[in-house]
Amino acid sequence: MTGPTVELTPDRASRPAPAAAPAPGLVRRITHHQLFWPVVALVALVVLCGLKNPTFLTIELRDGNLFGQLVDIARMSATPLLLALGMALVIATGGIDLSVGAVMAISLAVSLTYLDGAANPASVGTAAVAVLLGVAVALLAGVFNGFMVSVLGIQPFIATMILMVAGRGIAMLITQGQITTVTSAPFKFLGSGFVLGVPTPVIVALVMLVLVAVLVRRTALGMLLESIGINREASRLAGVQSRNITWLVYIVCALLAGLAGIVYGAPTMAADANNIGLMKEMDAIMCVVLGGTALAGGKFYLSGTVVGALILSTIERAVVIFHVPSQITPLFKALVIIVVCVAQSPRLREILRDGLARLRPRALPEVAS
Amino acid sequence: MTTTVQPPAPAPVRASRTRLGGLRRYLAPEYLPIAGTVLTLVLMLVVGEVRYGGARGFVSPKLFSNLLQDNAYLLVLAVGMTFVVITGGIDLSVGAVVALVGLVIATLLPLGVPLPVVLVLGVLIGTVFGLLIGVLVEYFDIQPFIASLAAMFLARGLCNVVSVQSLAIKDKGFGALAGWSLKFGEGRDIWKINLSMIVAVLVLAVAYVVLHHTRFGRTVYGVGVGDRGNAIQLVGLKAGRTRLWVYIISGTCAGVAGILFAFYTKSGFNLTGVGMELDAIAAVVIGGTLLAGGGGFVLGTGVGVLVYGLIQVLIAREGLDSWWTKVFIGVVLLVFVVLQRVIAVRRRA
Repeated sequence: MTGPTVELTPDRASRPAPAAAPAPGLVRRITHHQLFWPVVALVALVVLCGLKNPTFLTIELRDGNLFGQLVDIARMSATPLLLALGMALVIATGGIDLSVGAVMAISLAVSLTYLDGAANPASVGTAAVAVLLGVAVALLAGVFNGFMVSVLGIQPFIATMILMVAGRGIAMLITQGQITTVTSAPFKFLGSGFVLGVPTPVIVALVMLVLVAVLVRRTALGMLLESIGINREASRLAGVQSRNITWLVYIVCALLAGLAGIVYGAPTMAADANNIGLMKEMDAIMCVVLGGTALAGGKFYLSGTVVGALILSTIERAVVIFHVPSQITPLFKALVIIVVCVAQSPRLREILRDGLARLRPRALPEVAS
Repeated sequence: MTTTVQPPAPAPVRASRTRLGGLRRYLAPEYLPIAGTVLTLVLMLVVGEVRYGGARGFVSPKLFSNLLQDNAYLLVLAVGMTFVVITGGIDLSVGAVVALVGLVIATLLPLGVPLPVVLVLGVLIGTVFGLLIGVLVEYFDIQPFIASLAAMFLARGLCNVVSVQSLAIKDKGFGALAGWSLKFGEGRDIWKINLSMIVAVLVLAVAYVVLHHTRFGRTVYGVGVGDRGNAIQLVGLKAGRTRLWVYIISGTCAGVAGILFAFYTKSGFNLTGVGMELDAIAAVVIGGTLLAGGGGFVLGTGVGVLVYGLIQVLIAREGLDSWWTKVFIGVVLLVFVVLQRVIAVRRRA
């Protein structure tokens, strides 16, 4: 089995404690757990790939570093996972952040442009400053998004769309429309190095996962996020600082996106403002949805999000293994999203229960303004 | 011509019998965004005239003819998007549908399929995608944003299945349709009207009539108020399957826009229209339609498209690089979104 089983601990606190009496049927408890279907999907995918290509499941040690297809999948999962962590928090508050792809591009552009102009790009100090600069710019983007959503009260979808449109333009301005390429060993290490035999991106993603998990599950913050997502106004009246907390999640989301941009671009060291992070916001949303978090806001599942990110990378790898033309990947993603959303839809259960004869458009749901 | 349904706020003095009555109607808050749109357009035209007017003038029939020619497909997209946005929804699939339609045209014509059949098929592809989103939204209560996102992935995936190369459209009949135009004026000031422009203006006119002069149009506005359709029930309209229909309309418009875009580029390519849906949404917002739903003018969308096109023209004339366009569009979008928000808050106060 792959890594994630270890990482599922942070969420334990949020699970309902088992009843004192032995619950009726362990099987039922397992199959009704929100992680059940995502994990089944992931295991099925891995098994299928393993059957098709037996070398898929082998992990070998070379020079003390791990290599193999599963390691590659973990490495590929790092970027979507970083994005999806922030996205999960934003979605929990009933929002959405479409600007993460553009923020990735901006952060990477700033980092590499700084390295490009630095006197000694190969020194660790310079690389550290470059990373900090990139993350700082992402912070600004987050402050802007959060301000629009929480203070001005603009719909999250639209507020973040502004940066999605303008962000790539800003990234192009920073790189002057060139594809900035530099060489800096310490910076490159972030994307393609190994720490204790594990790829650096995986380490970065895990550290962030633990940080976020501790932040939201060992404090009351996670519960407050969910309460805001379920009913903002009621939360405010109950004394939850909904404005500041909402602002905070957009900042966290943008910070993680900035970091994701740096990790994503470090191996190639090329800031291609037009293509870095393109459509990545969709991937992040997909990871969150696959993990069982409803897009309407409210309860969110970090562990599910991790599984979602692994599923996404495994799908991308499976496409290669099964010799399906890789251009069809979006088709897969589309079908997965549609199926998952329809399966999550409470209307489907009603329809299955009442039969199709009673299928009538229902009155419209409340539109959150 | 007003947004028919309002929340039960103290309505502005409407039917006052004074001579100012007619004028005052247009000072109501719902006209502020559209006033902003027209003001922006005038301002940009003035800036253009002052900076590049010269001997030949900047504002001329030729300018508008070129604007409409370059943005005909966007106008059609934005008109379809207006219907969706008024109901409080969003349709992200339109750019991908445009690409798919272009590719289908480029693939079918060399196979000897008759041109009319191909064109009708192109429009129907859009309709089918609209129907898919509409069903997901109306019957499964999936958020419009997600449903249309899935449709966008689907369309892009199908594009990749059809072809990943750029395919030129060399069909004679198609070329004749794309190239047909009426020319006016003399020499350097020559301007023309082509088929794309006529189609785009027709779509706009039909949309205007439907939205402002039919029962269906009023229902679209009523659904956008978002109180489970209760308000419109009270005035005797049925919400029914309105949400399904607006997505079908938007999808059909995307099909038409795909054909117009193929006229414009004479090719099909699987990466066309990336970000086009955002351009359409931007044009709708700049045109004064409320993103929260329930208010907006389809004619404003027309002005919004002109503003969008003018931004590109001015940036090109300034000699700035093309990526400034995105930054400027973002800034204009920001201003209008904040303006809408301010109006909404004032209206509630």
